[in-house]
Amino acid sequence: MSDTAQLASDAGSRDPAVGLRAVRALRMLVDRLEALQVENARERGWSWQEIASCLEVTRQAVHKKYAGGRGLLRRER
Amino acid sequence: MFERFQSGARQAVVGAQENARRLNHTHVGTEHLLLGLLGRPENLSTRVLGRYGVDHGRVYRAVAEATAGRRGDDLDAGALETIGIDLSAIREKVEAAFGPGALDRAPRPREGRLFGGRHIPLTRRAKKVLELSLREAVHMRHGSIGDGHMLLGILREREGLAARVLTGANVDLALLRQDVVRELG
Repeated sequence: MSDTAQLASDAGSRDPAVGLRAVRALRMLVDRLEALQVENARERGWSWQEIASCLEVTRQAVHKKYAGGRGLLRRER
Repeated sequence: MFERFQSGARQAVVGAQENARRLNHTHVGTEHLLLGLLGRPENLSTRVLGRYGVDHGRVYRAVAEATAGRRGDDLDAGALETIGIDLSAIREKVEAAFGPGALDRAPRPREGRLFGGRHIPLTRRAKKVLELSLREAVHMRHGSIGDGHMLLGILREREGLAARVLTGANVDLALLRQDVVRELG
């Protein structure tokens, strides 16, 4: 069995500490990926609505989460 | 004070913010100002530092190394592995598309920093560098502050990470200072 498979089966040991930590790590990873992709989409001129549709959330949700202040850098881009 | 900054110096401050953000740092320090200066090939400071073998990539790596322990929220590769996710494989793909460190910038969407470019505060030393750059310009009887004056400010401040990184790259700060002064004419 490979190391990864071994670790994966460890997760099956139902130890909540292991499982919950994995969930937290996965959530953080998803947050990073989402932020990166939303930023990229905005840079490419996608509207909030288009981004929201892809993520299957409301436009308001994605806007509230990612539309920051009107900063210096934003205008620079 | 900012109205006296020429575009090169202004852009360096903007670049400093971008670098701090990219490194996932919460403050803009002297090291980010140096990175901001080096981000623009047309800058006098980039040209002079290039003669000392110092460029953006080198400083960026040194800064990332020096501040490695600072990040509190690294992605948990071990935990992801327990559910069969290979973080290094994901990192590889993401960096191929978005560049080195892309996955390591923690999102701070609620504060609007990542996208809004909201101001990241300057450290005491970074503020000091800006003051000193003004002083250098005044002293040289130059009407405005260029990127070269900012580099002089960094060298004058002396104790920040920027100066330490330069010293670490075997740059003789006194000699560099002379060079910059000469170039500024």
